[in-house]
Amino acid sequence: MNRHWKHSLKPYLLILPALFLAGLFAYRPFVITLLNSLYTVSINGQRIAFVGLDNFRRLFVNESFQTSLSNTLRFTLYFVPVNVFICLSAALLSHREGKLATLNQICFFLPMAVGLSSAMMILKMIFNPFIGIVNQLLGISVEWFNNPNAAMALLVIAGVYLDIGIKFLLLHAALRNIPANLVEVATLEGANPLQLFKYLQLPLIAPTLVFVLATNIKDAMLISSPVLILTEGGPFRSTQTLVYQMYLEGFKSGNYAMGSAIATVVFFLTFLLLLALLQIERRRVYYQ
Amino acid sequence: MKSLKAILATILSLIIVFPIAYSLSASFFSWADFTAIPARLLPSQPTFENYIRAFRETNLEQFLLNSLITASLGMMLRMTISITAAYTFTFFNFKGRDILFILIVATMLLPSDTLLLANYTTIRALRLTDTYLGIISTSLLAPAHIFMLRQYFKTVSGEYREAAIIEGCSDTRFLTLLLIPISKAVVVTLAIHSFSTIFNDYLWPLLVTNKASMRTIQVGLTMLGFSENFDYGPQFAAITVLMTPVLVAFILMHKPIQESVSTRFTGR
Amino acid sequence: MKRLFSVMIILISLTTVLFAAGQREIKPDPVRTVTWWHPNSGLAGQATQAMVQAFNSTVGVEKNIRVEAVYQGKANDVLTKAKAILQSDSRRDLPDLAQLDGAAVLDIRDVDALIPMEDLALSDGYDLDAILEAARLSVTYKDKMIAMPFNSSTILLYYNKTAFDQGGIARAPRTLDELAVTAQALVQKDARGNVIRSGFANVPTTYELIAWLGQQNHLSYITDQENGHAGNPTRVLFHENGTMVNFLTKWKALYDTGALENLTSDRNGAFASGRTAMIVASTSNLTTILSMVGDRFEVGVANFPMVDEHATGGVNVGGGAIWAFDNGSGNRDAAWEFVKFASSGEQQLAWHIATGYFPIHRDTYSLPAFEEHIAKNPLFKVAIDQLMQSNPQLQGIWVPSAYQIYYAFQTGILKMLTENRSPEETSRALEAEINGYFAEYLRMQGQ
Repeated sequence: MNRHWKHSLKPYLLILPALFLAGLFAYRPFVITLLNSLYTVSINGQRIAFVGLDNFRRLFVNESFQTSLSNTLRFTLYFVPVNVFICLSAALLSHREGKLATLNQICFFLPMAVGLSSAMMILKMIFNPFIGIVNQLLGISVEWFNNPNAAMALLVIAGVYLDIGIKFLLLHAALRNIPANLVEVATLEGANPLQLFKYLQLPLIAPTLVFVLATNIKDAMLISSPVLILTEGGPFRSTQTLVYQMYLEGFKSGNYAMGSAIATVVFFLTFLLLLALLQIERRRVYYQ
Repeated sequence: MKSLKAILATILSLIIVFPIAYSLSASFFSWADFTAIPARLLPSQPTFENYIRAFRETNLEQFLLNSLITASLGMMLRMTISITAAYTFTFFNFKGRDILFILIVATMLLPSDTLLLANYTTIRALRLTDTYLGIISTSLLAPAHIFMLRQYFKTVSGEYREAAIIEGCSDTRFLTLLLIPISKAVVVTLAIHSFSTIFNDYLWPLLVTNKASMRTIQVGLTMLGFSENFDYGPQFAAITVLMTPVLVAFILMHKPIQESVSTRFTGR
Repeated sequence: MKRLFSVMIILISLTTVLFAAGQREIKPDPVRTVTWWHPNSGLAGQATQAMVQAFNSTVGVEKNIRVEAVYQGKANDVLTKAKAILQSDSRRDLPDLAQLDGAAVLDIRDVDALIPMEDLALSDGYDLDAILEAARLSVTYKDKMIAMPFNSSTILLYYNKTAFDQGGIARAPRTLDELAVTAQALVQKDARGNVIRSGFANVPTTYELIAWLGQQNHLSYITDQENGHAGNPTRVLFHENGTMVNFLTKWKALYDTGALENLTSDRNGAFASGRTAMIVASTSNLTTILSMVGDRFEVGVANFPMVDEHATGGVNVGGGAIWAFDNGSGNRDAAWEFVKFASSGEQQLAWHIATGYFPIHRDTYSLPAFEEHIAKNPLFKVAIDQLMQSNPQLQGIWVPSAYQIYYAFQTGILKMLTENRSPEETSRALEAEINGYFAEYLRMQGQ
């Protein structure tokens, strides 16, 4: 009887750490964040009074928040296609035999070795409009940190640089997993590279592509560290993103209620976007 | 066609590698080189001074040590928890198994960045600020990894395990001596990913550490606050010191790295 | 199963051991160690180290005190760290001293753990009048000096003297109107009509607005409660007293000449590279700018331009101060010894020479070494004269959400210029937004 008890308890004990962590660092804070967004919270984190949706009401009329929302959505809109294009191009272009191809491949996943702050600081230096090397090499004088459009472009560049390493590896692996005989048959049948891509490669790497898209959307909606290090939301809040504003309100101003409200908005928005992505995927797979 | 691909690929790869090469060169710049107009690609008179200053003027070794400890410790704990959980969900049959699995994996939908504030108050309340445990705490649960591991373990037949148990093999032995070696590629990839995720984390360690002695290298780097007057030298030296071992490792191990990323995880 | 458990236990114990190792070791010390958190980097960082070493090897040896200066990042980072500790109620983690700037005041001034500097000074018989009035008032709350001014600065106009000479401009502009005229004369274009050098590059920051708004009519308040020095501000006054509209009108006129560049970042770099002929910047940037410019051109400094002929208030004292905390270590007196040292006549001179921050102690100004230094470096004198001519009542604002307010000003002013809004409209919009931040803050206090 004792042995039976022990036996049936065992699996629960084994997954206990995971469950405990999920509860402590995911579910509980989620509920607390939701709650905080519905209350007035003191500077010490105590909930003072229930205010319902009042925080959200004030948040949505706040111009700064509207800017954050617009910036984050626009960033996602620019970043996702650009990133997918560049990473996919890198994978496709280096999908060949030979030593040069290997060299190309190594270059493409090398950025993974550069940590986030290192990469951001390098970019900060080389994109300096006056003494940075980029403007010098390209013969231009773009005000990367003073022009809102240039700053947004810089943020996209930063995002791509941080992500290309792992995404290249994934797409590269996906391409390699396509059975060689299928490719042979297609080429024998006279398919040109474009057709090869459209009708053979694309469908077969679609699941990986969906994964890349999903993580890109999530990362774009949540972008914060590059903003913190590179632009600090400037110039003129043009690169202020939702999570960055959450950091300002929550940590700099100690306004937990506002910070939690922003967090809640970000969560639901991202959730909706991912849900939309899944719907699209389901439909396309069906028609295949 | 092939040569067009080769040319384009090489151009793109040169662009990607440029910042890394530049920072290597810049670590030998003198202050005049940094503020030179027009900007320079190579140092006028290479100097080691930046490296000397980076270590002398800041606690670089301590930062690096903190990062290495937290990343290694975090990786080990995370892998232990993930593998154990995935193993249990795959090979055991218990009440509520599927619900509990979904419960754990569903946390993937709760991005930890949106929970920063609440997690911070939790850590503060537990008095874990400025501790290694505090830094790695939010990275210990990896729902994506548990999911991937379970997907992989499922391909191993249950009968295999039953046979082993009948032969008197305990779960632990089965796991460590048989299952993990079979899943080496997956485990290694996830371990590397765990290590680099924790190593590269910026915002969370920034919030959770106040003492200079507990800072991780990512946070510490940005605080080499020399950039106020374009004194970038020590920063670049530090960046190069940090980057080089990893770069060398990546280049030497490029084959295993590329092969280990299998698309089994993403669905195909 | 047993194996698995024992492996897990080993890992968990390893964690706990490392967790314990990661905490600060508390060693009993015969020498009293005073920790000082500061944001000084580069040249200022070196000067900090020099000052600490000077103390440790003189007064420190005498009185068995050792000061440990810890660089904590930018001024904002020092505050964030301190706040985190204050909120978690673990006082013993507080430093003995922390160097913070104006943005920090609101969070620090009411905490129990703060030891008002005036108390420490008076119990040592220190003469508070020895400190420059403007500097002392900059850290006075409800009539008490709660910190010790340390890295004090004001704003200056920096100009490319070589360009002035080439353009036949005899002296620096005094008012915004004159600035507009001078800037126009300094614009340089290339063959295709692109501006390669602008006359003046700036988007007003909070620091500059404090002077531009506050100096009008010899003294104007920007918020109620004496700019926050008498209590929590509840609303801004700059709209109702017309100072904002007045300033914005002048600023718009400046922009309309085409000589103004809306540059918000890296203005020092733009100036040093010759991309713009004039900027406004803190006196603390003087040494840095001089070394960046090198011998590209001659640098001139002048008084911060006045809004109009009635704006005689001058400038306020900005920069930071040293604050003392009670962390249960009993180091109050030791900490005070260092503060006394750091703010003394001689040390302030050394600090000034190395960084450009101006000396806050009256004694410095009568030291022969000071006169010598000024004679050799006349540029440094400009900031000091400017301050002596200013109204000491003109003080900085102690407001919540300083970060957000900074962006509100910048974004609002940019919109006015690029979307052709009226100064009246812009002023009203700024009033509404900033009052909103004040309201949030009061709400969080439970009011």
